[in-house]
Amino acid sequence: MAKDKYNRFLLLLGLGILVVFLVSVFIGRYPSPPGMLPHILFEDRLARQLVLNLRLPRLLVAFLLGMILSAAGSVLQMIFRNPLVEPGFLGVTQGAAFGAAISILYFAKHPLVIELSATFFGLLALGASYYLSIRIRYGGWVLRLILSGVAVSALFSAGVGVLKYVADPLTELPEITFWLLGGLYSVTWRDLLFVLPFALIGIVVVYVMRWRVNLLSLNDDTAFSLGASLTRERLIILITTVAAAAALTSISGVISWVGLIVPHISRRIFGASAEKSIPAAMLLGGGFTMIADDLARTLLAGEIPLGILTSAIGAGLFIYLMISMSFKVRRDG
Amino acid sequence: MDKMLTLESVYFSYSEEDPVVLADLSLDIPAGKVTAILGPNGTGKTTMLHIMLGLLKPFQGVVTVAGKSHKDYSKRELSQLIGLVPQFESIPFNFSVIEYVLLGRSPYLNPFQLPGDLDLEITEKALKEAGISHLAEKPVTEISGGERQLVHISRVLTQKTKILLLDEPTAHLDLENQNRILSLLKRMAAHGVTTVITTHDPNAAIFAADHFVLMNQGNIAAEGELGEVITTENLSMIYKTPIRVERTTGYTMVVMDKMEEHG
Repeated sequence: MAKDKYNRFLLLLGLGILVVFLVSVFIGRYPSPPGMLPHILFEDRLARQLVLNLRLPRLLVAFLLGMILSAAGSVLQMIFRNPLVEPGFLGVTQGAAFGAAISILYFAKHPLVIELSATFFGLLALGASYYLSIRIRYGGWVLRLILSGVAVSALFSAGVGVLKYVADPLTELPEITFWLLGGLYSVTWRDLLFVLPFALIGIVVVYVMRWRVNLLSLNDDTAFSLGASLTRERLIILITTVAAAAALTSISGVISWVGLIVPHISRRIFGASAEKSIPAAMLLGGGFTMIADDLARTLLAGEIPLGILTSAIGAGLFIYLMISMSFKVRRDG
Repeated sequence: MDKMLTLESVYFSYSEEDPVVLADLSLDIPAGKVTAILGPNGTGKTTMLHIMLGLLKPFQGVVTVAGKSHKDYSKRELSQLIGLVPQFESIPFNFSVIEYVLLGRSPYLNPFQLPGDLDLEITEKALKEAGISHLAEKPVTEISGGERQLVHISRVLTQKTKILLLDEPTAHLDLENQNRILSLLKRMAAHGVTTVITTHDPNAAIFAADHFVLMNQGNIAAEGELGEVITTENLSMIYKTPIRVERTTGYTMVVMDKMEEHG
């Protein structure tokens, strides 16, 4: 896509997201579905509090969550040269789930403690995957990390299974299950402040290194011959994006498919070069997650877990992309 | 003879348990010429290219590039000096030709920098030089094998290096594409670029090269000019098959004879 056309497209996308954001502020079940008109904010104190204390932080977190999951998905797919990779790939999602479950059972049920525990175990899973990949003595860098990620993910998944098994079925098990289904129903300004540093570092690093990601997607010998410090540059990008994804997962629960499907859509519209597809994927992901969250809180009288909606919409889009002619990815290496 | 690349008593193996791939190998690559490295499969040609590039480190011996050891260069300096077109280069995503070729400018940009107008200009010039300007906006996954090899070579041309290493650049290509690629390499050498190619095809080597190296079992079996290296005896011995070298006025051709059947 030509530069001018791309810039115009991105500007339009940005404006579209702004409109979604503004509309999302006013839609909901208060005072009655589908929402409120703007003037009510000046007249109704409860409406003002609802918007300022609940909807605004929730919308901002939804936007950041979509941005980070999409950025991490784009980066992981390119670095691992595998279009089926998403942020949970290195065991991070299952690690965070284990952290949340163990906190609900044994540490404390305070949201901050659950978030810290989920972030800690998400990062621990990332570290374990990386350490294991160094210890494996065969295969290239990509294969070793894939194998390590699968193994670490399975270990933490087994751990979550054990914790669910021993959890009190009336009090603790529903809480773990609801966390695993994913949702932003309890997000506050404090949660936003908790994830903001991780998210900003992840976004800035991916944005400034976006062209370099193309280079890191080439064969090791070619990338080396073009001056890339492969291990160092890949680690910088992986750690910052995956840490941001772990932090956001700690407050949202397991939100699947965004990090897998949005990079595909972005590459299809804007081309394969990460210089263009990554910023677009971040905006698309942010918008997608905000809309999915709007649906989660407005479709039914009770809230639908966000993870269920993103999975349903994401899987539907994925099937459409797979059977449409434009879904072309070479897997010859 | 001016030397651009020198390997001195190089020993290499992939790990302590693996057999030695290169043993006591010494070789000088002349500046501004095309050097062809010939030899059977598994004789260490690709390994040697990777050692010249600095990707693999020999466990003994010295590699000198333009008079200095590899370790005296930063990674960026080295990538401004030596370019590589590997034997297998898979491009997993659907970059356009120009997006992919532009990556050749990476050695001149820091990790946080985007390519500018000058980089784009150099890229367009490289595409023109390789005769593939018309493919600029095409996805790399939708062009033929010969065109793709020209794309890889364009990418290494934008790198503006003094040394080009090409691993089997004409493998699997038809005669027209072989001619285009080898002629392009000869033009580059005429502009002073030191070029090293590996090939299984002695006739392709004869067409393009000024300097010949025959490798066998991790070492140099013969090295020098065409008449000294490309002989019936040398090739028959290295490839373990009956081969004749025919010389007519101004031209040398390698012909393979039918093998006698045993049993």
